Amino acid sequence: MEGVEYSLYAPPVGVDSDTVQFVRVDEAKCEGCGACEEYCASGAIQSINDDGIHRIVDPVACMNCGQCLTNCPYGAIYEGVSFVDELAAKLKDPDTVVVSMPAPAVRYGLGECFGAATGTYVGGKMHAALRKLGFDYIWDNEFTADVTIMEEGTELLNRVKSQGSKDAMPLPQFTSCCPGWVKFAETFYPDLIPNLSTCKSPIGMLGPLAKTYGAKETKTDGKKIYTVSIMPCIAKKYEGVRGELDDGGFDRDIDATINTRELAYMIKAAGIDFNSLPDEDPDPVLGESTGAATIFGNSGGVMEAALRLAYEVLSGTKLANPDIKVVRTHEGINTADVEVPNFGTVKVAVASGLDNAAKLCEEVRAGKSPYHFIEIMTCPGGCVNGGGQPLDPEIRASLFRSTVAQINKRFRARKIKA
Amino acid sequence: MKLSRRSFIKAAGAVAGYAVLGVNIAKEAAAEVMDFVARRQNSVYAADANKKIYKYRKSQDNPMIVKIYDPKTGFLHDGPCGHESHHLLHTHYYDRSKKLNALKEKGIELNL
Ligand code: SF4
Ligand code: SF4
Repeated sequence: MEGVEYSLYAPPVGVDSDTVQFVRVDEAKCEGCGACEEYCASGAIQSINDDGIHRIVDPVACMNCGQCLTNCPYGAIYEGVSFVDELAAKLKDPDTVVVSMPAPAVRYGLGECFGAATGTYVGGKMHAALRKLGFDYIWDNEFTADVTIMEEGTELLNRVKSQGSKDAMPLPQFTSCCPGWVKFAETFYPDLIPNLSTCKSPIGMLGPLAKTYGAKETKTDGKKIYTVSIMPCIAKKYEGVRGELDDGGFDRDIDATINTRELAYMIKAAGIDFNSLPDEDPDPVLGESTGAATIFGNSGGVMEAALRLAYEVLSGTKLANPDIKVVRTHEGINTADVEVPNFGTVKVAVASGLDNAAKLCEEVRAGKSPYHFIEIMTCPGGCVNGGGQPLDPEIRASLFRSTVAQINKRFRARKIKA
Repeated sequence: MKLSRRSFIKAAGAVAGYAVLGVNIAKEAAAEVMDFVARRQNSVYAADANKKIYKYRKSQDNPMIVKIYDPKTGFLHDGPCGHESHHLLHTHYYDRSKKLNALKEKGIELNL
Protein backbone atom coordinates (compact mmCIF):
# COMPACT_ATOMS: atom_id res chain seq x y z
CA MET A 1 0.00 0.00 0.00
CA GLU A 2 1.58 3.25 -1.16
CA GLY A 3 5.11 1.89 -1.12
CA VAL A 4 4.96 0.11 2.24
CA GLU A 5 4.22 -3.58 2.94
CA TYR A 6 1.78 -4.73 5.62
CA SER A 7 0.91 -7.88 7.53
CA LEU A 8 -2.88 -8.14 7.48
CA TYR A 9 -3.00 -8.81 11.22
CA ALA A 10 -5.64 -7.22 13.46
CA PRO A 11 -4.69 -7.70 17.14
CA PRO A 12 -7.58 -9.36 19.06
CA VAL A 13 -9.36 -7.68 22.00
CA GLY A 14 -7.37 -8.15 25.19
CA VAL A 15 -3.96 -8.49 23.47
CA ASP A 16 -0.89 -7.27 25.42
CA SER A 17 0.08 -4.29 23.27
CA ASP A 18 3.73 -4.53 24.33
CA THR A 19 4.11 -7.92 22.65
CA VAL A 20 2.83 -6.81 19.23
CA GLN A 21 5.38 -5.80 16.58
CA PHE A 22 3.89 -2.80 14.83
CA VAL A 23 7.09 -1.96 12.93
CA ARG A 24 9.22 -4.75 11.47
CA VAL A 25 12.33 -5.17 9.33
CA ASP A 26 12.30 -7.49 6.31
CA GLU A 27 15.79 -8.87 6.75
CA ALA A 28 15.90 -10.12 3.17
CA LYS A 29 15.50 -6.55 1.88
CA CYS A 30 17.76 -4.81 4.41
CA GLU A 31 21.01 -3.58 2.85
CA GLY A 32 22.64 -2.68 6.14
CA CYS A 33 23.02 1.03 5.39
CA GLY A 34 22.23 2.02 9.00
CA ALA A 35 20.01 4.97 8.04
CA CYS A 36 17.20 3.71 10.29
CA GLU A 37 19.43 3.89 13.38
CA GLU A 38 19.91 7.62 12.91
CA TYR A 39 16.20 8.29 13.15
CA CYS A 40 15.57 6.09 16.19
CA ALA A 41 15.74 7.90 19.53
CA SER A 42 15.41 4.81 21.70
CA GLY A 43 18.01 2.74 19.85
CA ALA A 44 15.56 -0.13 19.37
CA ILE A 45 16.67 -0.85 15.79
CA GLN A 46 20.15 -2.37 15.69
CA SER A 47 22.60 -4.23 13.53
CA ILE A 48 22.51 -7.96 14.25
CA ASN A 49 25.42 -9.35 12.19
CA ASP A 50 28.58 -8.52 10.23
CA ASP A 51 26.56 -7.57 7.16
CA GLY A 52 24.82 -4.90 9.22
CA ILE A 53 21.40 -6.44 8.74
CA HIS A 54 19.02 -4.63 11.10
CA ARG A 55 16.28 -5.79 13.43
CA ILE A 56 14.13 -4.23 16.14
CA VAL A 57 15.53 -5.89 19.25
CA ASP A 58 12.26 -6.05 21.20
CA PRO A 59 8.85 -4.37 20.90
CA VAL A 60 9.30 -3.08 24.47
CA ALA A 61 12.12 -0.79 23.28
CA CYS A 62 10.26 0.40 20.18
CA MET A 63 7.95 3.43 20.43
CA ASN A 64 6.19 2.42 17.16
CA CYS A 65 6.83 5.84 15.63
CA GLY A 66 7.82 4.47 12.22
CA GLN A 67 10.47 7.12 11.60
CA CYS A 68 12.87 4.29 10.69
CA LEU A 69 10.28 2.99 8.21
CA THR A 70 9.71 6.28 6.39
CA ASN A 71 13.45 6.94 6.16
CA CYS A 72 14.69 3.51 4.98
CA PRO A 73 15.96 4.12 1.43
CA TYR A 74 15.49 0.43 0.52
CA GLY A 75 11.87 0.02 1.65
CA ALA A 76 12.99 -2.78 3.96
CA ILE A 77 10.80 -1.82 6.91
CA TYR A 78 7.12 -2.76 7.00
CA GLU A 79 4.07 -2.64 9.25
CA GLY A 80 3.15 -5.69 11.34
CA VAL A 81 -0.47 -4.66 11.93
CA SER A 82 -3.24 -3.76 9.51
CA PHE A 83 -6.98 -3.64 10.15
CA VAL A 84 -7.78 -3.09 6.45
CA ASP A 85 -9.25 -6.59 5.88
CA GLU A 86 -11.39 -6.50 9.01
CA LEU A 87 -12.58 -2.96 8.20
CA ALA A 88 -13.54 -3.93 4.63
CA ALA A 89 -15.75 -6.71 6.05
CA LYS A 90 -17.36 -4.33 8.59
CA LEU A 91 -18.15 -1.80 5.86
CA LYS A 92 -20.14 -4.51 4.04
CA ASP A 93 -21.96 -5.75 7.15
CA PRO A 94 -25.46 -4.17 7.36
CA ASP A 95 -25.56 -4.76 11.14
CA THR A 96 -22.46 -2.71 11.87
CA VAL A 97 -22.53 1.09 12.13
CA VAL A 98 -19.08 2.18 10.99
CA VAL A 99 -17.85 5.56 12.22
CA SER A 100 -14.93 7.51 10.70
CA MET A 101 -12.47 9.36 12.95
CA PRO A 102 -9.73 10.98 10.82
CA ALA A 103 -6.91 12.96 12.46
CA PRO A 104 -6.04 16.52 11.41
CA ALA A 105 -2.79 15.64 9.57
CA VAL A 106 -4.40 13.02 7.29
CA ARG A 107 -6.04 15.78 5.21
CA TYR A 108 -2.64 17.35 4.50
CA GLY A 109 -1.08 14.08 3.24
CA LEU A 110 -3.80 12.00 1.58
CA GLY A 111 -3.91 14.07 -1.62
CA GLU A 112 -0.27 13.24 -2.35
CA CYS A 113 -1.27 9.60 -3.02
CA PHE A 114 -3.49 10.92 -5.83
CA GLY A 115 -0.90 13.15 -7.44
CA ALA A 116 -1.44 16.42 -5.55
CA ALA A 117 1.50 18.60 -4.51
CA THR A 118 3.03 17.94 -1.08
CA GLY A 119 0.81 19.25 1.71
CA THR A 120 -2.29 19.97 -0.39
CA TYR A 121 -5.39 20.29 1.86
CA VAL A 122 -8.02 17.70 0.84
CA GLY A 123 -10.34 17.68 3.88
CA GLY A 124 -13.58 18.03 1.90
CA LYS A 125 -12.65 15.30 -0.58
CA MET A 126 -11.56 13.06 2.31
CA HIS A 127 -15.01 13.34 3.90
CA ALA A 128 -16.67 12.61 0.53
CA ALA A 129 -14.43 9.56 -0.01
CA LEU A 130 -15.26 8.18 3.45
CA ARG A 131 -18.99 8.50 2.65
CA LYS A 132 -18.45 6.70 -0.67
CA LEU A 133 -16.51 3.91 1.07
CA GLY A 134 -19.64 3.24 3.12
CA PHE A 135 -18.89 4.79 6.50
CA ASP A 136 -22.23 5.45 8.26
CA TYR A 137 -21.18 8.52 10.23
CA ILE A 138 -18.53 10.92 9.04
CA TRP A 139 -17.29 12.08 12.41
CA ASP A 140 -13.97 13.75 12.77
CA ASN A 141 -11.14 13.59 15.25
CA GLU A 142 -10.71 17.36 14.91
CA PHE A 143 -13.86 17.79 16.99
CA THR A 144 -12.19 16.00 19.91
CA ALA A 145 -9.03 18.02 19.33
CA ASP A 146 -11.25 20.94 20.38
CA VAL A 147 -12.50 18.86 23.35
CA THR A 148 -8.87 18.12 24.25
CA ILE A 149 -8.12 21.84 24.42
CA MET A 150 -11.04 22.36 26.80
CA GLU A 151 -9.95 19.44 29.02
CA GLU A 152 -6.19 19.81 28.87
CA GLY A 153 -6.33 23.61 29.08
CA THR A 154 -8.58 23.38 32.14
CA GLU A 155 -6.27 20.81 33.71
CA LEU A 156 -3.32 23.16 33.22
CA LEU A 157 -5.20 26.08 34.76
CA ASN A 158 -6.14 23.84 37.72
CA ARG A 159 -2.52 22.79 38.20
CA VAL A 160 -1.33 26.41 38.11
CA LYS A 161 -4.01 27.54 40.58
CA SER A 162 -3.38 24.69 43.02
CA GLN A 163 0.39 25.21 43.34
CA GLY A 164 1.38 25.40 47.00
CA SER A 165 -1.53 23.33 48.24
CA LYS A 166 -0.87 19.85 49.57
CA ASP A 167 -2.45 17.75 46.80
CA ALA A 168 -1.23 19.91 43.93
CA MET A 169 -0.39 18.09 40.70
CA PRO A 170 3.14 19.00 39.60
CA LEU A 171 4.26 21.45 36.92
CA PRO A 172 5.28 21.45 34.14
CA GLN A 173 2.36 19.67 32.56
CA PHE A 174 3.30 17.56 29.56
CA THR A 175 0.87 17.05 26.67
CA SER A 176 -0.39 13.48 26.18
CA CYS A 177 -1.67 13.51 22.59
CA CYS A 178 1.26 11.65 21.01
CA PRO A 179 1.29 7.89 21.71
CA GLY A 180 4.97 7.44 20.85
CA TRP A 181 5.85 10.06 23.43
CA VAL A 182 3.47 8.61 26.05
CA LYS A 183 5.07 5.16 25.73
CA PHE A 184 8.51 6.79 25.82
CA ALA A 185 7.69 8.58 29.08
CA GLU A 186 6.23 5.40 30.62
CA THR A 187 9.29 3.39 29.60
CA PHE A 188 12.22 5.74 30.12
CA TYR A 189 10.88 8.40 32.53
CA PRO A 190 8.23 6.66 34.67
CA ASP A 191 9.03 9.03 37.55
CA LEU A 192 7.58 11.86 35.40
CA ILE A 193 4.18 10.19 34.91
CA PRO A 194 2.53 12.65 37.39
CA ASN A 195 3.58 15.46 35.03
CA LEU A 196 1.75 13.90 32.07
CA SER A 197 -1.68 15.38 31.44
CA THR A 198 -4.35 12.85 32.47
CA CYS A 199 -6.26 13.70 29.28
CA LYS A 200 -6.63 11.00 26.68
CA SER A 201 -5.51 12.02 23.21
CA PRO A 202 -8.20 13.35 20.82
CA ILE A 203 -8.71 9.87 19.38
CA GLY A 204 -8.81 8.37 22.88
CA MET A 205 -11.68 10.81 23.55
CA LEU A 206 -13.59 10.34 20.30
CA GLY A 207 -13.87 6.56 20.68
CA PRO A 208 -15.88 6.62 23.94
CA LEU A 209 -17.79 9.77 22.94
CA ALA A 210 -18.90 8.10 19.69
CA LYS A 211 -20.22 5.05 21.56
CA THR A 212 -22.03 7.07 24.25
CA TYR A 213 -22.88 10.63 23.19
CA GLY A 214 -22.85 9.87 19.46
CA ALA A 215 -25.00 6.76 19.97
CA LYS A 216 -27.49 8.81 21.99
CA GLU A 217 -27.68 11.71 19.51
CA THR A 218 -28.20 9.38 16.52
CA LYS A 219 -30.39 6.86 18.40
CA THR A 220 -27.97 4.06 17.55
CA ASP A 221 -27.23 1.01 19.69
CA GLY A 222 -23.70 1.63 21.01
CA LYS A 223 -22.97 -2.10 20.68
CA LYS A 224 -23.34 -1.89 16.89
CA ILE A 225 -20.87 0.98 16.52
CA TYR A 226 -17.45 0.17 15.04
CA THR A 227 -15.06 3.11 15.40
CA VAL A 228 -12.24 3.60 12.91
CA SER A 229 -9.35 5.83 13.86
CA ILE A 230 -7.62 7.18 10.71
CA MET A 231 -4.18 8.47 11.56
CA PRO A 232 -0.93 9.81 10.08
CA CYS A 233 0.76 7.49 12.55
CA ILE A 234 1.75 3.89 13.36
CA ALA A 235 1.98 4.36 17.15
CA LYS A 236 -1.77 5.16 17.14
CA LYS A 237 -2.35 1.49 16.32
CA TYR A 238 -0.63 0.68 19.60
CA GLU A 239 -2.67 3.32 21.42
CA GLY A 240 -5.91 1.93 19.95
CA VAL A 241 -5.39 -1.48 21.57
CA ARG A 242 -4.37 -0.14 25.01
CA GLY A 243 -7.00 -1.64 27.32
CA GLU A 244 -6.95 1.19 29.89
CA LEU A 245 -8.53 3.54 27.38
CA ASP A 246 -11.77 1.56 27.19
CA ASP A 247 -14.38 3.46 29.21
CA GLY A 248 -17.35 3.57 26.81
CA GLY A 249 -18.82 0.31 28.15
CA PHE A 250 -17.96 -1.92 25.17
CA ASP A 251 -15.00 -4.12 24.19
CA ARG A 252 -12.88 -1.45 22.64
CA ASP A 253 -13.46 2.29 22.35
CA ILE A 254 -11.27 2.34 19.23
CA ASP A 255 -12.11 -0.76 17.20
CA ALA A 256 -9.67 -0.26 14.35
CA THR A 257 -6.83 2.07 13.43
CA ILE A 258 -5.57 2.61 9.90
CA ASN A 259 -3.23 5.29 8.56
CA THR A 260 -3.15 7.73 5.64
CA ARG A 261 -1.44 5.21 3.33
CA GLU A 262 -4.00 2.52 4.09
CA LEU A 263 -6.92 4.93 3.51
CA ALA A 264 -5.45 5.89 0.13
CA TYR A 265 -5.17 2.19 -0.73
CA MET A 266 -8.81 1.55 0.24
CA ILE A 267 -10.02 4.49 -1.86
CA LYS A 268 -8.07 3.19 -4.87
CA ALA A 269 -9.16 -0.41 -4.33
CA ALA A 270 -12.82 0.73 -4.27
CA GLY A 271 -12.32 2.42 -7.64
CA ILE A 272 -13.22 5.88 -6.33
CA ASP A 273 -11.96 8.74 -8.49
CA PHE A 274 -10.64 10.84 -5.61
CA ASN A 275 -9.68 13.93 -7.60
CA SER A 276 -13.17 14.43 -9.04
CA LEU A 277 -14.95 14.19 -5.67
CA PRO A 278 -16.83 17.28 -4.44
CA ASP A 279 -15.88 18.88 -1.09
CA GLU A 280 -18.20 17.59 1.63
CA ASP A 281 -18.65 18.46 5.31
CA PRO A 282 -18.48 15.94 8.14
CA ASP A 283 -21.68 15.01 10.03
CA PRO A 284 -22.44 17.45 12.85
CA VAL A 285 -22.40 16.72 16.62
CA LEU A 286 -18.99 15.00 16.51
CA GLY A 287 -17.74 16.50 13.28
CA GLU A 288 -17.51 20.27 13.45
CA SER A 289 -14.09 21.74 14.25
CA THR A 290 -11.96 24.88 14.34
CA GLY A 291 -8.58 26.13 13.16
CA ALA A 292 -7.26 25.38 16.66
CA ALA A 293 -8.03 21.70 16.04
CA THR A 294 -6.41 21.46 12.63
CA ILE A 295 -3.06 22.86 13.86
CA PHE A 296 -2.72 19.81 16.18
CA GLY A 297 -1.02 18.22 13.17
CA ASN A 298 2.01 20.50 13.47
CA SER A 299 4.68 20.53 16.14
CA GLY A 300 3.72 23.45 18.40
CA GLY A 301 0.07 23.23 17.35
CA VAL A 302 -1.39 21.78 20.55
CA MET A 303 0.52 24.46 22.45
CA GLU A 304 -0.80 27.29 20.26
CA ALA A 305 -4.37 25.95 20.44
CA ALA A 306 -4.15 25.63 24.25
CA LEU A 307 -2.77 29.15 24.57
CA ARG A 308 -5.70 30.51 22.53
CA LEU A 309 -7.90 29.20 25.38
CA ALA A 310 -5.61 29.88 28.37
CA TYR A 311 -5.05 33.50 27.32
CA GLU A 312 -8.77 34.26 27.31
CA VAL A 313 -9.49 32.41 30.56
CA LEU A 314 -6.55 33.88 32.49
CA SER A 315 -6.82 37.46 31.22
CA GLY A 316 -10.60 37.68 31.02
CA THR A 317 -10.19 39.41 27.65
CA LYS A 318 -10.56 38.33 24.03
CA LEU A 319 -7.45 37.33 22.12
CA ALA A 320 -7.68 39.63 19.11
CA ASN A 321 -5.17 37.82 16.90
CA PRO A 322 -5.14 34.04 17.42
CA ASP A 323 -1.73 33.60 15.73
CA ILE A 324 0.84 32.75 18.40
CA LYS A 325 3.70 32.24 16.00
CA VAL A 326 6.51 31.96 18.58
CA VAL A 327 5.55 28.38 19.48
CA ARG A 328 5.41 27.09 15.88
CA THR A 329 8.16 24.50 15.62
CA HIS A 330 9.80 22.97 12.59
CA GLU A 331 12.51 21.03 14.43
CA GLY A 332 14.39 20.91 17.73
CA ILE A 333 13.29 22.65 20.92
CA ASN A 334 11.40 25.92 20.96
CA THR A 335 10.76 27.91 24.15
CA ALA A 336 8.70 31.06 24.73
CA ASP A 337 7.48 33.43 27.43
CA VAL A 338 3.89 34.38 26.69
CA GLU A 339 2.73 37.54 28.46
CA VAL A 340 -0.88 37.30 29.62
CA PRO A 341 -2.57 40.47 30.92
CA ASN A 342 -3.94 40.26 34.50
CA PHE A 343 -1.91 37.10 35.05
CA GLY A 344 1.78 37.32 34.19
CA THR A 345 4.11 35.14 32.17
CA VAL A 346 3.24 31.68 30.90
CA LYS A 347 6.45 29.77 30.21
CA VAL A 348 6.20 27.08 27.55
CA ALA A 349 8.44 24.68 25.62
CA VAL A 350 7.83 22.60 22.50
CA ALA A 351 10.01 19.62 21.57
CA SER A 352 10.01 17.92 18.20
CA GLY A 353 11.64 14.45 18.24
CA LEU A 354 12.24 12.16 21.22
CA ASP A 355 15.94 12.97 21.55
CA ASN A 356 14.87 16.56 22.23
CA ALA A 357 12.13 15.34 24.56
CA ALA A 358 14.77 13.52 26.60
CA LYS A 359 16.63 16.81 27.16
CA LEU A 360 13.51 18.46 28.59
CA CYS A 361 12.75 15.35 30.69
CA GLU A 362 16.23 15.45 32.23
CA GLU A 363 15.64 19.08 33.17
CA VAL A 364 12.33 18.23 34.86
CA ARG A 365 13.91 15.26 36.64
CA ALA A 366 16.63 17.55 38.00
CA GLY A 367 14.00 19.98 39.28
CA LYS A 368 15.35 22.72 37.01
CA SER A 369 12.54 23.08 34.50
CA PRO A 370 11.17 26.64 34.45
CA TYR A 371 8.13 25.77 32.28
CA HIS A 372 4.42 25.55 32.99
CA PHE A 373 3.52 23.56 29.90
CA ILE A 374 5.56 21.36 27.56
CA GLU A 375 4.38 19.91 24.25
CA ILE A 376 6.15 16.88 22.84
CA MET A 377 5.80 15.30 19.41
CA THR A 378 7.73 12.13 18.54
CA CYS A 379 7.95 12.84 14.81
CA PRO A 380 10.12 15.78 13.75
CA GLY A 381 7.78 18.58 12.66
CA GLY A 382 4.73 16.84 14.16
CA CYS A 383 2.01 14.49 12.87
CA VAL A 384 2.20 15.93 9.35
CA ASN A 385 5.51 14.04 9.19
CA GLY A 386 4.14 10.97 10.98
CA GLY A 387 5.21 7.40 10.30
CA GLY A 388 1.85 6.60 8.65
CA GLN A 389 1.92 9.44 6.10
CA PRO A 390 2.73 9.10 2.39
CA LEU A 391 6.49 8.77 1.97
CA ASP A 392 8.76 11.63 1.00
CA PRO A 393 9.36 10.85 -2.70
CA GLU A 394 12.91 12.16 -2.37
CA ILE A 395 14.00 9.41 -0.01
CA ARG A 396 13.64 6.54 -2.44
CA ALA A 397 13.62 8.45 -5.73
CA SER A 398 17.34 8.12 -6.02
CA LEU A 399 19.39 5.85 -3.83
CA PHE A 400 22.46 7.81 -4.86
CA ARG A 401 21.00 11.11 -3.76
CA SER A 402 19.70 9.73 -0.48
CA THR A 403 23.06 8.18 0.32
CA VAL A 404 24.69 11.51 -0.33
CA ALA A 405 22.15 13.31 1.85
CA GLN A 406 22.71 10.89 4.68
CA ILE A 407 26.46 11.18 4.54
CA ASN A 408 26.14 14.96 4.56
CA LYS A 409 23.81 14.75 7.52
CA ARG A 410 26.26 12.61 9.47
CA PHE A 411 29.12 14.91 8.56
CA ARG A 412 27.24 17.99 9.73
CA ALA A 413 26.12 16.26 12.91
CA ARG A 414 29.75 15.50 13.72
CA LYS A 415 30.77 19.07 13.03
CA ILE A 416 28.12 20.46 15.37
CA LYS A 417 29.08 18.11 18.17
CA ALA A 418 32.81 18.92 17.86
CA MET B 1 39.33 -6.35 6.57
CA LYS B 2 36.43 -8.34 5.27
CA LEU B 3 34.49 -6.10 2.97
CA SER B 4 30.93 -6.83 4.02
CA ARG B 5 27.93 -5.68 2.07
CA ARG B 6 27.41 -2.91 4.57
CA SER B 7 30.89 -1.44 4.58
CA PHE B 8 30.99 -1.58 0.79
CA ILE B 9 27.85 0.50 0.48
CA LYS B 10 29.08 2.86 3.17
CA ALA B 11 32.41 3.29 1.41
CA ALA B 12 30.77 3.95 -1.94
CA GLY B 13 28.42 6.43 -0.31
CA ALA B 14 31.22 8.22 1.49
CA VAL B 15 33.09 8.92 -1.71
CA ALA B 16 30.02 10.30 -3.44
CA GLY B 17 28.95 12.21 -0.36
CA TYR B 18 32.09 14.10 0.41
CA ALA B 19 32.54 14.96 -3.24
CA VAL B 20 29.35 17.01 -3.36
CA LEU B 21 29.26 18.24 0.20
CA GLY B 22 30.29 21.82 -0.48
CA VAL B 23 27.62 22.50 -3.07
CA ASN B 24 24.99 20.67 -1.10
CA ILE B 25 25.20 22.60 2.15
CA ALA B 26 24.46 25.92 0.51
CA LYS B 27 21.66 24.46 -1.59
CA GLU B 28 20.08 22.67 1.30
CA ALA B 29 20.16 25.74 3.52
CA ALA B 30 18.26 27.72 0.90
CA ALA B 31 15.83 24.92 0.23
CA GLU B 32 15.19 24.27 3.90
CA VAL B 33 12.24 26.62 4.25
CA MET B 34 10.50 24.86 1.40
CA ASP B 35 11.29 21.26 2.26
CA PHE B 36 8.85 18.39 2.55
CA VAL B 37 7.77 18.86 6.18
CA ALA B 38 7.61 22.65 5.89
CA ARG B 39 5.27 22.39 2.90
CA ARG B 40 2.83 20.32 4.90
CA GLN B 41 3.17 22.61 7.94
CA ASN B 42 2.56 25.74 5.89
CA SER B 43 -0.55 24.20 4.39
CA VAL B 44 -1.89 23.52 7.91
CA TYR B 45 -1.41 27.14 8.98
CA ALA B 46 -2.97 28.37 5.75
CA ALA B 47 -6.12 26.29 6.40
CA ASP B 48 -6.28 27.55 10.01
CA ALA B 49 -6.28 31.13 8.73
CA ASN B 50 -8.73 30.46 5.87
CA LYS B 51 -12.27 31.48 6.85
CA LYS B 52 -13.76 29.36 4.08
CA ILE B 53 -12.30 26.18 5.62
CA TYR B 54 -12.51 26.99 9.36
CA LYS B 55 -15.14 29.51 10.41
CA TYR B 56 -13.77 29.62 13.97
CA ARG B 57 -10.17 29.59 15.14
CA LYS B 58 -10.56 28.92 18.87
CA SER B 59 -11.83 25.65 20.37
CA GLN B 60 -14.07 27.48 22.85
CA ASP B 61 -15.91 29.15 19.91
CA ASN B 62 -16.92 25.84 18.24
CA PRO B 63 -20.76 25.69 18.49
CA MET B 64 -20.64 21.92 19.03
CA ILE B 65 -18.21 22.46 21.93
CA VAL B 66 -20.60 25.04 23.41
CA LYS B 67 -23.38 22.45 23.01
CA ILE B 68 -21.60 19.50 24.64
CA TYR B 69 -20.51 21.62 27.66
CA ASP B 70 -23.84 23.45 28.05
CA PRO B 71 -24.33 23.68 31.86
CA LYS B 72 -28.02 22.74 31.59
CA THR B 73 -28.47 20.40 28.64
CA GLY B 74 -24.95 19.37 27.62
CA PHE B 75 -23.67 15.78 27.69
CA LEU B 76 -20.66 17.10 29.66
CA HIS B 77 -22.76 19.60 31.65
CA ASP B 78 -20.45 19.62 34.68
CA GLY B 79 -17.80 21.19 32.46
CA PRO B 80 -14.22 20.36 31.43
CA CYS B 81 -12.46 18.09 33.99
CA GLY B 82 -15.88 17.43 35.54
CA HIS B 83 -17.24 14.08 36.65
CA GLU B 84 -18.28 12.66 33.26
CA SER B 85 -15.08 13.98 31.65
CA HIS B 86 -13.01 12.14 34.22
CA HIS B 87 -14.88 8.95 33.51
CA LEU B 88 -14.71 9.06 29.70
CA LEU B 89 -11.94 11.42 28.68
CA HIS B 90 -9.14 11.06 31.22
CA THR B 91 -6.88 8.08 31.91
CA HIS B 92 -3.86 6.83 33.83
CA TYR B 93 -0.47 5.58 32.68
CA TYR B 94 1.76 2.61 33.47
CA ASP B 95 5.33 2.35 34.56
CA ARG B 96 6.83 0.26 31.76
CA SER B 97 10.43 0.49 32.99
CA LYS B 98 10.42 -3.04 34.45
CA LYS B 99 10.14 -4.54 30.98
CA LEU B 100 12.93 -2.23 29.86
CA ASN B 101 15.18 -3.23 32.75
CA ALA B 102 14.59 -6.90 31.95
CA LEU B 103 15.88 -6.18 28.43
CA LYS B 104 18.93 -4.36 29.73
CA GLU B 105 19.72 -7.27 32.05
CA LYS B 106 19.80 -9.50 28.98
CA GLY B 107 22.66 -7.30 27.78
CA ILE B 108 20.74 -5.28 25.19
CA GLU B 109 22.09 -1.74 24.94
CA LEU B 110 19.79 1.16 24.06
CA ASN B 111 20.33 4.90 23.66
CA LEU B 112 18.93 5.84 27.07
S1 SF4 C 1 17.57 1.80 6.76
FE1 SF4 C 1 16.62 -0.02 5.83
S2 SF4 C 1 18.25 -0.94 4.58
FE2 SF4 C 1 19.23 0.53 5.95
S3 SF4 C 1 19.88 -0.75 7.73
FE3 SF4 C 1 17.86 0.10 8.23
S4 SF4 C 1 16.40 -1.46 7.57
FE4 SF4 C 1 18.34 -1.95 6.59
S1 SF4 D 1 9.51 2.64 15.03
FE1 SF4 D 1 10.55 4.39 15.98
S2 SF4 D 1 11.21 3.61 17.99
FE2 SF4 D 1 10.68 1.80 16.74
S3 SF4 D 1 12.64 1.18 15.84
FE3 SF4 D 1 11.65 2.56 14.35
S4 SF4 D 1 12.46 4.62 14.82
FE4 SF4 D 1 12.92 3.28 16.58
